[in-house]
Amino acid sequence: MSQSKVYMVLSLVVICLISAFALAQVYTLTKAKIEQAKIEAVMNALSQVLPNAISFEEKESSRVWFGYDKNGNKVGIVFQVMPRGYGGPIGTLVGVDSTGKITGLRIASPAEGLKETAGLGLRVREDWFRNQFINKTKNELRLKKDGGTIDAITAATISSRAVTNGVREGLERYKKYWSNDSTSPNE
Amino acid sequence: MIQLRQMNKKSSRLKYLTNGIILENPTLILMIGLCPTLATSITVRDGLGMAAAASFVIIGSNVVASLLRRLIPATVRIPIFIIIISTFVTLVDYILQAYEPGLYQVLGVFVPLIVVNCIVLGRVEAFAYKHNVLDSMLDGMGKSLGFTLVLFVMGTIREVLGSGTFWGRPVTPAWFRQYPILLMILPPGAFILIGILKALLNKLMKPGS
Repeated sequence: MSQSKVYMVLSLVVICLISAFALAQVYTLTKAKIEQAKIEAVMNALSQVLPNAISFEEKESSRVWFGYDKNGNKVGIVFQVMPRGYGGPIGTLVGVDSTGKITGLRIASPAEGLKETAGLGLRVREDWFRNQFINKTKNELRLKKDGGTIDAITAATISSRAVTNGVREGLERYKKYWSNDSTSPNE
Repeated sequence: MIQLRQMNKKSSRLKYLTNGIILENPTLILMIGLCPTLATSITVRDGLGMAAAASFVIIGSNVVASLLRRLIPATVRIPIFIIIISTFVTLVDYILQAYEPGLYQVLGVFVPLIVVNCIVLGRVEAFAYKHNVLDSMLDGMGKSLGFTLVLFVMGTIREVLGSGTFWGRPVTPAWFRQYPILLMILPPGAFILIGILKALLNKLMKPGS
């Protein structure tokens, strides 16, 4: 009886050890690749919104990145804002050049945690909506019904307004980064 | 006589493989593994990604559990099965993160949840623990094929009707893609569709009724 109990415990211990060993091996093998994939995903997203930049430097963790061209000149910044939409925060990456013009907008996918309603608020991800922001400056960034230039999505005003206002507020908040004044050497 | 018995054995072997596809289809007949089926069949690609990940775990756990079946004490067999299964799931998790980060993001929480996919533990407990390695592998493959088939059919119908695309490519007129049947990509659409599929299958399997 006691022997079978010992065997019971022993078999569990052995199987746990084998499993842990196998997983440790695979973890070491894939670790570098996983890190690389994560960095690539971020870089892809950044270059989508700031196409002129070929390298990026993280300025504020997961919030602000500086973009540089191939000669190492700063061509603009990318910042992330999380305006509150209808279902939750809308993760929005915004690219800005040094004159304060928007160069691109990327909105997180539902898989990345976007909670907007499919067919309504989720349509903020559509190209026509996002492309309205390109080349616009701060004062133009309001919905048309709020006196600006951005067409809202039919029946999804809350989400449209959240994104538009979020981008505008982000431009204001991170002005010290995108405007040329900040590149002074005593920064 | 011996030859006949061998023949019988061969055909029953084949049955382990083919049973899982329709007759003992895990999702539509045994009605297990429904949660990942409903949740990851929004597009064909996601569905097949889930099916591939789950298949790897089903077949792997079946083989290992069958290999160790004489060494595993009956009293603690379930914890041991869970350790084997979660090892395979963690392997899939690492591999997807490293080589298919896009798919990993879409499948999200459903990758770790393969651990509690009833198909996996169900097959290990009901089949692999009592059969040899080859049979267990065939059974795992059969059940995986059945699961994959359902995810493929559901993914195709839901993606075409709900988004107007197949594997991400447009297959319907532009006006349809503008106003697709949204219900199909929402959770209620998945429930309705699996009900319809189950009803159709019941009708096909019992033509008289």
